[in-house]
Amino acid sequence: MGAPTALMTDGLGVSFGAFKAVDTFSMVVEEGELRVVLGPNGAGKTTLMDLISGKTQSTSGRVVLFGQDVTNWPEHRIARAGIGRKFQIPSIFRELTVRQNLEVAASEEVGVWRNLRLGLRRREAAKIDDIVELAGLEDVEQRRAGDLSHGQMQWLELGMLIAQDAKVILLDEPTAGMTQAETRKTSEIVNRLKGEHTMLVVEHDMSFVRAIAEKITVMHMGKLLAQGTIEQIENNQAVRDAYLGSGGIH
Amino acid sequence: MTSLNRHTVAEWIAYGLFIVFVLALPLFWDDPFGLNRWARYLVYGMLGAAIALSWGYAGILNLGQGLFFGLGAYMTAMSLKLASWTSLQQGSDTPVPDFMLWNAQPGAPTDLCCIVPGSWVWIPFQEQWFGVAMSVVAPVVVAGLLSWALFRLRVSGVYVAIVTLALVLLVRLLVIDAQPITNGFNGLTDLGYLTILGHEIDPFENDSYYLIAVSLVVVLLAMRWLVATRAGLVLQSTRDDANRARYLGYDVTAYQVFFFTVSAGVAGFAGMLFVVVSDFASPSFMEIGFSIGMVVWAAVGGRGSLLGACIGAIAISVLETSASESEIFQEAWRLIVGLAFVIVVLFLPRGLAGLARDAVDRLPLGRAGAAPAGVAGKPAE
Repeated sequence: MGAPTALMTDGLGVSFGAFKAVDTFSMVVEEGELRVVLGPNGAGKTTLMDLISGKTQSTSGRVVLFGQDVTNWPEHRIARAGIGRKFQIPSIFRELTVRQNLEVAASEEVGVWRNLRLGLRRREAAKIDDIVELAGLEDVEQRRAGDLSHGQMQWLELGMLIAQDAKVILLDEPTAGMTQAETRKTSEIVNRLKGEHTMLVVEHDMSFVRAIAEKITVMHMGKLLAQGTIEQIENNQAVRDAYLGSGGIH
Repeated sequence: MTSLNRHTVAEWIAYGLFIVFVLALPLFWDDPFGLNRWARYLVYGMLGAAIALSWGYAGILNLGQGLFFGLGAYMTAMSLKLASWTSLQQGSDTPVPDFMLWNAQPGAPTDLCCIVPGSWVWIPFQEQWFGVAMSVVAPVVVAGLLSWALFRLRVSGVYVAIVTLALVLLVRLLVIDAQPITNGFNGLTDLGYLTILGHEIDPFENDSYYLIAVSLVVVLLAMRWLVATRAGLVLQSTRDDANRARYLGYDVTAYQVFFFTVSAGVAGFAGMLFVVVSDFASPSFMEIGFSIGMVVWAAVGGRGSLLGACIGAIAISVLETSASESEIFQEAWRLIVGLAFVIVVLFLPRGLAGLARDAVDRLPLGRAGAAPAGVAGKPAE
């Protein structure tokens, strides 16, 4: 192993009644890595993200972030520990302007009392300027976020994760509902974040996966099915079987 | 001038005009009875702004704000009751409220310690500063505990409205039921004057109007500052998407509790001021209709604007008084207000403040600010 471990799940699992959505799932993601999680519908990909980010309480196993056990912490504490999450449906502050969205994300203080002051720190303002440019939102900076196009909302949400300085970014289908041009721009943004941030991406769009992926983890029925480079995965018999009926990976 | 600057300028002009209007009113209007009435409207304005803070900025619809208003009113009224002339005439060295004697068992000592069961809670209220301080402290403590219990469990939306509504009803019943120490249904009347630095505040003198006008201005500007801070921005973000705020590292519960509690503290403070000008406190402050009325004020004025909600409260109260003086409108008033509320909810979700904002947008450049002036001037009509 080269880089230190950023995120590790160790025997992670959750059951809803008799149904095990995620089942003894173990995985190690190195710092700066971009890991894609694939799997047929219902494989437990989104639930895995819920477990890592604290949305769902796990019933077994551990989540370790940079050596710190964050299993079943409240969401905001996991976020402070360094995990940022992008949802499948764009999740932004619709009534605030684009810039205000980024201001909320970029704040170095999270407590109520410490935030009882006006204005941004210069460092925070400079960071926001950079992100507005990276996400290509210069023209809509003062616009109400709810009035943005679908693609712009997704980029804004990505920008908020960068503003947050999330060490590990979880992306749940970042290109869902996007046009080809928007998808291309998204893969550009994601590629620029590579190295600086560790990323875990759930995605179905194989052209997008090919554009960004280094290493792929395949889930099936809540379990780890295969792991490897894109060629290894495409030629893996177990993966082909799992996708049988849904027409294989395409 | 960008459109953002334009709105900021227009907003400050609106605040400026409102403040000047409120403070200058007694200079042009020498009518103690009218000013006393206006002082009450200004208290309502403060209540409207407090609702806007929790509803508009935090997305928390509190249908029981009357609880905090009533609590604040009773705390001060207890002190003022002990300061009244009659309380000193009950044959004891220390003040005792007259109604306690009516409720006392034969032979009970005429002293707050034990004249009726529970009357000892009145003892510290002999100090006026204590009652006044408790007008803010008690609502803050109750609101803090209540909101922490609710928001920790992520209760939101209509459920908050139901819980707060039920609670104000419950407390109203408790107050009425505790007749020996609260005078029940009749409330606390025949109060003494509030004394500030040795100066008595007569409800029908200009002093009391100024006390309330200045308080309103200070509270309004303080709340405006609060929502402009980083914390205020985070609060609005929790309103739009609480989960997103959580995943950015914010303890959403802490923000909700803080602002809910501030709103309650303002309501309690308003209750204290109301007692000073109206000379009574009664369980009617905790009737559902009053709490819902506050929400209507904020909706009509614009819940997204503290000043808008404040003006909405004042304007509706002024109109309500005029309506009650005409026989036809007196009957129809509730219907008219109800209709106005429905129309605003359906067609003007941002209320009058939203209208003013749109008008500013349509102004030709260079004349920014003329439009909200019209709105700020509304209560004068």
